[in-house]
Amino acid sequence: MWALSWWYGAGWKAQLKRFLERLDSSYDYFSIGLLLRSLFAPFRQISAGKVRGPINIQIRAFADRLISRFIGAFVRLILIVVGAAWLGILAIGGVIYALLWLVVPVLPLVGFIFMTAGWVPTWE
Amino acid sequence: MGVSFNYGAHRAAKARVGKFIGKTGHLLMISLAIVLAFGGIVLIVLANPVGWLVASLAAWPAMFAKWYVGELSDISAEASETAIEASLSSGVLAHLSKQPSPHDIAAAIGQTNEGAFYGARFGLTANFLLQIASNEQSDTAEIWQTAMDVKDELNLEHLSAGTLVYALVKQLPDHDALLAHNHMELDDIKRGIEWQEHIKQLIKHHSKPRRTGGVARDWSFGYTPLLSRFGQNISQQIAAGGLLSVDLESHADALDQLVDTFSTSGRQNSVLVGATGVGKTTIVHAFAERLLDASSKLPANLKFRQVVMLDSSSLISAAPGRGQLEDLIMQVFSEAYAAKNIILCLDDAQLFFEEGVGSVDLSNVLLPIIEAGRLRMILTMDDQRYLQISQRNSALVNALNRINIAPAGKAETIKVLQDKLILTEFSRKVTYTYQSVDEAYRLSERYVHDLAMPGRALKLLESAASYNENGLVTMNSVQQAIEQTMNVKVSVAAESDDREKLLNLEELIHKRMINQDRAVSVVSDALRRARAGVRNPNRPIGTFLFLGPTGVGKTELSKALADVYFGGEDRMIRLDLNEYVRSEDVTRLIADGADDPTSLTAQAMKQPFSVVLLDEIEKAHPSVLTTLLQLLDEGILRDIKNREVSFRDAIIIATSNAGAERIREYIDRGYKLDQFEEEFTNELINSGQFRPEFLNRFDEMVVFTPLEKADLLKVVDLIIAGVNKTLALQKVSVEVDEDAKKLLVEKGYDPRLGARPMRRVIQRVVENNVAKAILSGIVKPGSAITITASQVEETMGKAEKAQAIEQEAS
Repeated sequence: MWALSWWYGAGWKAQLKRFLERLDSSYDYFSIGLLLRSLFAPFRQISAGKVRGPINIQIRAFADRLISRFIGAFVRLILIVVGAAWLGILAIGGVIYALLWLVVPVLPLVGFIFMTAGWVPTWE
Repeated sequence: MGVSFNYGAHRAAKARVGKFIGKTGHLLMISLAIVLAFGGIVLIVLANPVGWLVASLAAWPAMFAKWYVGELSDISAEASETAIEASLSSGVLAHLSKQPSPHDIAAAIGQTNEGAFYGARFGLTANFLLQIASNEQSDTAEIWQTAMDVKDELNLEHLSAGTLVYALVKQLPDHDALLAHNHMELDDIKRGIEWQEHIKQLIKHHSKPRRTGGVARDWSFGYTPLLSRFGQNISQQIAAGGLLSVDLESHADALDQLVDTFSTSGRQNSVLVGATGVGKTTIVHAFAERLLDASSKLPANLKFRQVVMLDSSSLISAAPGRGQLEDLIMQVFSEAYAAKNIILCLDDAQLFFEEGVGSVDLSNVLLPIIEAGRLRMILTMDDQRYLQISQRNSALVNALNRINIAPAGKAETIKVLQDKLILTEFSRKVTYTYQSVDEAYRLSERYVHDLAMPGRALKLLESAASYNENGLVTMNSVQQAIEQTMNVKVSVAAESDDREKLLNLEELIHKRMINQDRAVSVVSDALRRARAGVRNPNRPIGTFLFLGPTGVGKTELSKALADVYFGGEDRMIRLDLNEYVRSEDVTRLIADGADDPTSLTAQAMKQPFSVVLLDEIEKAHPSVLTTLLQLLDEGILRDIKNREVSFRDAIIIATSNAGAERIREYIDRGYKLDQFEEEFTNELINSGQFRPEFLNRFDEMVVFTPLEKADLLKVVDLIIAGVNKTLALQKVSVEVDEDAKKLLVEKGYDPRLGARPMRRVIQRVVENNVAKAILSGIVKPGSAITITASQVEETMGKAEKAQAIEQEAS
């Protein structure tokens, strides 16, 4: 009984907490918030910084900076998409795991029913 | 009714189930689950429906295995409950019987890992606890109550094994005496509980995943290839889990100041100023860790910034030419500035501001950058060097935001040591006892001068690891380490030959000293007190003023002490104070060892365990005597760099000829030493030759009596014994007839000079005759040469004639 009360009480909560921690850790890994805040920042500071000189040099620097920002935004967007997808998969997996957790104690009963039914998968 | 233990409570029962399952049971359940799942799948594949049941049955052992790990292996305390079984640590709880006696509690503690901590760190082993614990069940309530009080006092989550160890020891009536045997007090167990809790917290903290900004953290910041080549990225090392930093209260202020400096709009630099070993680099590491922590409350312009420590030696070696180095530095700094996320750290920044081996003065390049204050920089500097640089270059100092780092106090140092030792214990495969840490603090404070706390204690503990006893670094290991490295004796005399030497000190000294029984006895007593551990540790071993005419053995006694007790005449620091007659000579007395290795402080730093002989003290300038007052009083002298130099393991002997004529008068009038000593000392004070506060600083003032002819006969024997020692190489010996000895005394006796002319006379007569005998081949190896009175007459006659001719000629 103690095992069951832990399983459906503190145990389940602990699994939920662990799942949220994993989600948080993945969110930190993909740094989506940071990516959104710096979406248009020059990538790796390439061509960043003020350039003094004649107008043609300034225009070229502006263009370079624009390209750097564009590359940055592109790379960041890709990571945001990949990160969001991964977080989604993780969330769905977590919910399934949490639900499966609830049925683990009754699995032998399910097995017994299957055995009684006599069904087995066929490979032909 | 006192607190009691409910054996049947759920938590207690669960703890017993957990103990029953144990690690083996857990492993068995996992194995069973795997076997059932695998077996079931095989049966299903073989089209046997029983496979469903078999495979699904794997769920139950798997569930129990999960339960064991999730709850039973470490059952958390029930926060709202105050009952014993609700808060007792599960390890102890599992091993308790229905109505446990203190003895049963001790047995339960002995079976837990928590209990083993006190066995290894404090010497409070399971056997020790079993021996001291009573078998009376009626005593148990008091144990519970004491343990609960400690738990509340230390604000603990669990009623841990440590609180029970404390309670068991406290219940013993003579616990103080028992603990003293282990070199500890009852409160030290509380410190041990805190230490254990701290280790648990550290493990918990470091087992949590770090939030350090993620994969795209640095995408908005520039590449830094040059910095990667010439610097060490501390932030990267921390992120990889390679550095263990310590949270210290004394460092918290410095960290906050660093955050303030870099988050406001002023000059973006800070200089951490403090003595070497105080923890400046540790603060930089802690700062880097704080910046990396996503959960820390920091302004956005500081979060995830990286601290890179520049390596001066690799910079200098990469650009040997003057201009090249400046170019390279500018490139590195430009790169750091352009990257936008770099905080440069110049550790030991003096290397960048002065010319020397491994250092180059780059002030001209660095000053404009520092003054502009846009590139974020942290400099660390020794306080003495900082002062020197500030004298030379005040503009530089004015451009820096100074943060002073004070040395850590005892409690903080112990905390730092306990944290840092985790890595040392792992790498050196040793365990440090609590007493060793405490002893390292005490001894390093006294003997290690070139570092500040906590660095100095840590250095000593690291070297003590080599003297471990069966993997344990004990108080004895620390004492051995300091004895070997500093050549001092800090342990209480335990070796039998050491004890013998101490008990027979007078006899040993008298082997080379004639008469002066009182002087020999007072210094011997002082040494015995010191080595038995009953002296005041905050003073020198002994401070003595030897008074008496010249040639009566004042210096000889000092030499004898250095030889017999400290291991050689070279263990004597001798200062002729007639060379310190001006007030400016104080500087020479306390000069830095690098400038003047012969200064008193420099010699004492190198050789703290020695006899310090201050000869002819009456001739020293009053300022010199005032400087020496603190030395005599507290055993401490501050050198010119304001470093404390300890004289607490030295015997200080000051000698003076003051009042020598008066002593002779007393003796001539037939007084014995004990009859006139007190009166003579009073006369000396009244005469104004010594200030009373100076004389009061000495433990003893010892008057040496002039030697009589009977004493000088014994001195002759001693000198001849010395000659024979030298001749032992030639396998010959010398004997002097009694008449010849008396004649030698007659010739060598001078009431004004004591025994001093004796050596000259003996050298002339005995050594000359022996030399002639050896050269003429009269003596063969193994034979003895006898010196007769006539030979003495003849040699002395010749010498006197030669002297007369010399005088006539002049």
